Amino acid sequence: MKTAADLKYGETGIISGIDGSHPSSRRILEVGFTPGQEIELISKAVFNDPLAFSVRGTIIAVRKNEASCIKLL
Amino acid sequence: MKIQTLEDNYLITLVGPPNSGKTTLFNYLSGKNYKTVNYPGATVEYSISKIQKKFNIEASILDSPGIISLASNSPDEQVSIDALYSHPTYGIPDLVIVTVDASQISRHLLLAKQLIQSKFKVIIALTMVDLLQRKGFNVSTSVLSEELNCDVISIDGRSGNGVDELIKVAEQNLQKNRITGAEKPIPFDSNVKLEYLLDLYKEIEQIECKAISKVVDNGKQIDINGANKRLVLLNNGLDRKINKLDQTSLKIDKIMLHKVWGIVLFFLAMAITFTSIFWLAQPVMNLVDKSFGYLSYEALNILGNNWYGSFIANGIISGVGSVMIFNPQIIILFLILGLLEDTGYLARGAMLIDKPLSKIGLNGRSFVPMLSGFACAIPAMLATRTIPNRRERLLTIFIIPLMSCSARLPVYALLLAFLFPGDKEWIAGITLAGIYLLSIISSVSVAGIVNKLKNKIITDEDQSSFILELPTYRIPKVSNVLNNSYHSTKAYFKKAGPIILVLSGVIWFLTYFPDYNPKINTVNLTREQAGELQSSTRLANSYASGLGKIIQPVMSPIGMDWRVGVALISSFAAREVFVSSLALIFKVAGDESTLQSSMLHEMHKATIGNTGQSLFTTATIAGLIIFFVFALQCMSSMAVSRKETGSWRLPLLQFFIFTSTAYLFTFIVVNGLRAMGIN
Ligand SMILES: Nc1nc2c(ncn2[C@@H]2O[C@H](COP(=O)(O)OP(=O)(O)O)[C@@H](O)[C@H]2O)c(=O)[nH]1
Ligand SMILES: [Mg+2]
Repeated sequence: MKTAADLKYGETGIISGIDGSHPSSRRILEVGFTPGQEIELISKAVFNDPLAFSVRGTIIAVRKNEASCIKLL
Repeated sequence: MKIQTLEDNYLITLVGPPNSGKTTLFNYLSGKNYKTVNYPGATVEYSISKIQKKFNIEASILDSPGIISLASNSPDEQVSIDALYSHPTYGIPDLVIVTVDASQISRHLLLAKQLIQSKFKVIIALTMVDLLQRKGFNVSTSVLSEELNCDVISIDGRSGNGVDELIKVAEQNLQKNRITGAEKPIPFDSNVKLEYLLDLYKEIEQIECKAISKVVDNGKQIDINGANKRLVLLNNGLDRKINKLDQTSLKIDKIMLHKVWGIVLFFLAMAITFTSIFWLAQPVMNLVDKSFGYLSYEALNILGNNWYGSFIANGIISGVGSVMIFNPQIIILFLILGLLEDTGYLARGAMLIDKPLSKIGLNGRSFVPMLSGFACAIPAMLATRTIPNRRERLLTIFIIPLMSCSARLPVYALLLAFLFPGDKEWIAGITLAGIYLLSIISSVSVAGIVNKLKNKIITDEDQSSFILELPTYRIPKVSNVLNNSYHSTKAYFKKAGPIILVLSGVIWFLTYFPDYNPKINTVNLTREQAGELQSSTRLANSYASGLGKIIQPVMSPIGMDWRVGVALISSFAAREVFVSSLALIFKVAGDESTLQSSMLHEMHKATIGNTGQSLFTTATIAGLIIFFVFALQCMSSMAVSRKETGSWRLPLLQFFIFTSTAYLFTFIVVNGLRAMGIN
């Protein structure tokens, strides 16, 4: 299943759900990653981690591991 | 005494996510006439002020650290939230003004909704409406107000637009609440279910849909909701446009967050930061140095060569002056840190360095505390509260004393001026950069080693996380940055000043008394030589010398004598005291030249005992520099480390590990250099 961690540079995706078993899922939701939102991968740091996504009009940097709990359509 | 009326005690707290415009509004209301208070546990100081008279409201306003939700994720958020419910000094707020960035309304309404649900007395100040309008949208405050069941006023804290209205509404709310009586806010359950958050966001999205409308070219507005009924796809299109990012920021980030250039620019920015501290400060430092040298000379002239003249000139003026010289460097450091923070670059730096830091058991969020560690370890340790993971936080606290703090600058500057006099100043600058690099390398290695030792030193385990908003780039407001660095510098001197003053007095006493006046044979000696012989004989008979002889055995292996030993011991109270102690021990003052140059002059002449061997050589100076790189000579840092970690375990480990490492490396460097023929 495709997650936010699989997005390529500049690629967009629509969130389908958040994996609630991940310890960071609450904060991921709080910062605005909710189902139905469109996100775009804006940048990857060296070693491809963390990733920076555009969501709800801002940019949020998230570790790859945490981005993998954001499921995409 | 002025009797405080009930109204005088009204407390209005500003709450909102980071960068939502709290401080801008606060400055407008207070007229910058505020006092900074130590927000319990905040990384920065926060301010409280009475609202200016012209607003016709009798209330105080409290700025607060940004939070995104009432459920905390890290120690600093917890403190901010606790203080919101009941501030330890100011109590429960009578009214909460929530700042909501209209251009990010869905994200920012989350906190507002939670506050309303928790029964805080809330009014909403809608900021950045201009940014929303630039995207081609408008927002209806009356719809928002109706949906949220609280007053909503759109303002611009920069120009003051709408602030009068906001205050009028605040006054009405305060009056209304006084009649209905205070109801305590309900504690927020931190273990919220994910469904709750999903539902909350759904609710907020519906509100957003009703309140936001699109502006079409001829000035008429289209209701998104109306359009939505007709064409679902169109609504989607509109929605996306409202989430459009700031294009300038995106362009800058193309370079700043570039995989290769991003990291190159990162290191370049850090290198420029640290070298400019040295270059920019030099001319001002010379000025300060000259003035204190002159003051000390004049004081001795006026008061005469007796005990109080010596106390004022040598004990107070030289002691304080030898440290004040470094004021410019410290101000510049705070200035640059403030600039980096205000542009929005620090968050990017944290993202870029997260992966490398996580390899050694740290976190991208360790970056800002480590950087502040170059100013002072104390605020740096407090800043670690933004790190959610306890293990990473403790490890960051552990290595912070290794960052080259500004208290070391006076020491390095003196020692480097000794090694590279006059025309070779530029080498001193490069060497200083090298010392900074060494401090980074050593702290990173120590973190790596401690991390490898698994649970030997730091026993906590926790889930590691890095989620951080990268704010849009902004041109920093110079007045804000200047104001902040003024406050930081003032706080620094308030902390260091008394210690320096007291210790200068103590060292002066130990070196001056028991006021021994040796009879010396002045035959065949010039006046100058006779004076020198007299003062060195005096010193050899002083209390300081008595104490110093006890530590001589420790100093001999590293090629130094008791005089350096006394200065080193006093530097354990605070590092910069080393310089003022040396100044006192080598009896600087009494001639018209600068403090530093007369001090260097005396240091060049100093010999160990009667051996005729120079005390300060390339080898011993290098050894001293190494000692200061590693040793933990700061009681305040240890006290803060104790407070932040909850026990003496970590600070004691820090003290013994860092100080014994320092001694060992100094021993190796001094004797190694001598073995290589470098004296
Ligand atoms: N365009 C615009 N910028 C604003 C407005 N209010 C504040 N700002 C800017 O937003 C930035 C963040 O504001 P600040 O008050 O520091 O936010 P805080 O983190 O909530 O204290 C500053 O650069 C302000 O100048 C506004 O209404 N419109
Ligand atoms: Mg602020």
